[in-house]
Amino acid sequence: MTATKEMPTPAGATPPASARVSPPKPRRRGGFGERLTPYLLILPALVAVLVLLGWPTIQMLLISLRRLDLRELVTGKMVWIGLANYTDTLSDPEFWSVTIRTILFTAALVAATLVVALLIAVLMRHLNPVIRICVQVSLVLAWAVPVIATTTVFQWIFDQQYGILNKTLDKLGFHSFIGYSWFSTGGSTLTVIGLLVLWQAVPFVAFTLYAGLIGVPREQYEAAGIDGAGPFQTFRAVSWPAIRPILTMVTFLSVLWDFNMFGQVWAIRQGGPDGQSTTLAILQYLKGIAGSHFGSAAAIATIMLVLLLAVTARYVQLLVRTKDGEIA
Amino acid sequence: MKRWLKLVAGAAAITLATAGCAGSGGGDNASGSGGTGTGTLTVWLMTGSAPESLTGALNKEFEAAHAGVKVDYQIQQWNGIQQKLTTALAGDNPPDVIEVGNTQTPAFAADSVLEDLTSSVNDLNGAQWLAGLKASGEYDGKTYGVPFYAANREVLYRKDMFAAAGITAPPTSNAEWLADITKLKAKFGSDPQFQPLYLPGQYWYSLLSFIWDNGGDIAKADGKSFKSTLDSAGSKAGLEFYKQLVDTSGTTAPKDNDEANPQQAGIYGGGKVAMMIGTPGEVATAAKTDPSIAGKTGAFAIPGKTAGQPAPVFLGGSNLVVPINSKNKDLAKAYLKLLSGDKYMTQMAAAGYVPGTSSDVSALDKDPLGAVMAKASKSGRAVPTSPKWGEVESGQNPLKDMLTAYLTGKKTVDQATADANAALDKIIGG
Repeated sequence: MTATKEMPTPAGATPPASARVSPPKPRRRGGFGERLTPYLLILPALVAVLVLLGWPTIQMLLISLRRLDLRELVTGKMVWIGLANYTDTLSDPEFWSVTIRTILFTAALVAATLVVALLIAVLMRHLNPVIRICVQVSLVLAWAVPVIATTTVFQWIFDQQYGILNKTLDKLGFHSFIGYSWFSTGGSTLTVIGLLVLWQAVPFVAFTLYAGLIGVPREQYEAAGIDGAGPFQTFRAVSWPAIRPILTMVTFLSVLWDFNMFGQVWAIRQGGPDGQSTTLAILQYLKGIAGSHFGSAAAIATIMLVLLLAVTARYVQLLVRTKDGEIA
Repeated sequence: MKRWLKLVAGAAAITLATAGCAGSGGGDNASGSGGTGTGTLTVWLMTGSAPESLTGALNKEFEAAHAGVKVDYQIQQWNGIQQKLTTALAGDNPPDVIEVGNTQTPAFAADSVLEDLTSSVNDLNGAQWLAGLKASGEYDGKTYGVPFYAANREVLYRKDMFAAAGITAPPTSNAEWLADITKLKAKFGSDPQFQPLYLPGQYWYSLLSFIWDNGGDIAKADGKSFKSTLDSAGSKAGLEFYKQLVDTSGTTAPKDNDEANPQQAGIYGGGKVAMMIGTPGEVATAAKTDPSIAGKTGAFAIPGKTAGQPAPVFLGGSNLVVPINSKNKDLAKAYLKLLSGDKYMTQMAAAGYVPGTSSDVSALDKDPLGAVMAKASKSGRAVPTSPKWGEVESGQNPLKDMLTAYLTGKKTVDQATADANAALDKIIGG
């Protein structure tokens, strides 16, 4: 979300790109077999993509046009109901509040992930090697722990009676936190889930950005120092251009991950209390698995797909346009 | 970029897998009732239900009586059973006899995936069926599920602590119960970890007892449609009594979680709890923490408003069903007949369950905890037999949200019940 603002002039940011395009490559006229080889080589991958991704997607679209409850599933009856699943879903006010909640939650999560990860990446660049390795090992550990294990740990941290957080706050003098319930409102439940996701998402993004930062030659910083640039100016003039393409990429990756996140939200409070931490992924599960309305669940999945396509259209466009997949 | 595709594809693949089964499952529904002769009868029972000694003898006897028939007996886990049953029932060659949780049965019955057993009721000891379970197996005037066994809750208490606090007899009314909680607190309250009654905030099975005791109910059936009645005066009174229990006891159980998180038997086993509401089976779990606790534990029926009239209890349990796509329906019915007979039902009672198709609970009465449960089961009741009730339990349960909101003071009793009523209507109403 944040990065979409930064890219109105992609052409200006990477002037060297134009130089690479100019000399037209001489086309070699090989035999028929030689020309066919690349296509033959790509064929297995293409078939795999079509079978594993294309076909299920088509199935999902078709199912979203059917009434497919347990009865239809067992009897094998095909009941086509046109767009009824979509109109039902779209006319449900709950769907819209869940959609808005999901979008805002995703935006907040992605922004927080990027800011925290960027700060850590910059910090790592300035730390002495021993401390940096400590930080990196901690990050890798946070990242390596399975999602549900971390979720369980967080549940205990925020537990009403036995949680270490409430105990600590009490010891620090905030006595009103004895027996405070962190999961009694949607807002605080989502905050806890957000912290949990942040905990798991930051390491990857921080490492990726750090990799971008160490790619910048030392001399550039020295030159900036000689020119009298302050730390902030140096960051803007030297570091920023180097990590911007990477930042764009991790932004879109984060959007995709956070938008579709299910495990953590479900494990914490099943989208409660009162459905106030229900996201689109949870709503889909409630419809499909809990309620056995596979048709409406497929409709929600399709709508999610369309929403994601709309949000990430710019990224896809950039990906297609730049020849060697380099993103500005 | 590829990640969302993968996710979408994954979701679609699951749907596809289930849909794929459906495609081949249709068509030959009529073929089921034919075979009486040879073959394999597949039976699915749940883990922890019938003991091995029972099923071993049962399967042997059945195979002996039906030459050439082999019983393929499989034990299923509760975790993820809904999906597994959905897939199995939709399949071409489903199991022939399945144990299904009583709250799941109406959904399957309403979706016409179960064999209509109405004409076999008399063969299966129909006159002695446990009333609370019987209702859960019926849909639209027809019988689809045969009661198998039930268990219900009672108050498990520490006899030694009661004696130390000077309580001579277990309470028989709400007022006595609250008074005893106060007495226990006065005696042991100096220990900050002591809880007279462990009662987590979202223990809605217990709430049901208080709602029913006050004349309320979850929902009212009108033909096939349901209208939730959580905003009735009786429901509110039940909710208020629940809060009274929580406040009087000062229980440190989480207000925003249920009896399984953390598992209450483990807490009771810790030795700092004088009472918990649970099934007799939970004492065995508590004994894993402290083996001596079983001998110190007694039980009394969940008290009601009126002295001597215990509150109605929620009957948890299982029914036995025959899938409509089963290829061996006659054999399946014969198997049910054998299992529902007195011989095996007595063994179920001896294993600590209220038997589903026999009113003879003498084997259960030998155990003091079991005897209290068997007596209370007579006033056992079930959740609404709405086919959509399964969605309430496997999704977001409005009763749990109602309890948390009211107990933490986020909502008044009127607001909490009105909201829960609307939320429940959205799921089962209409």
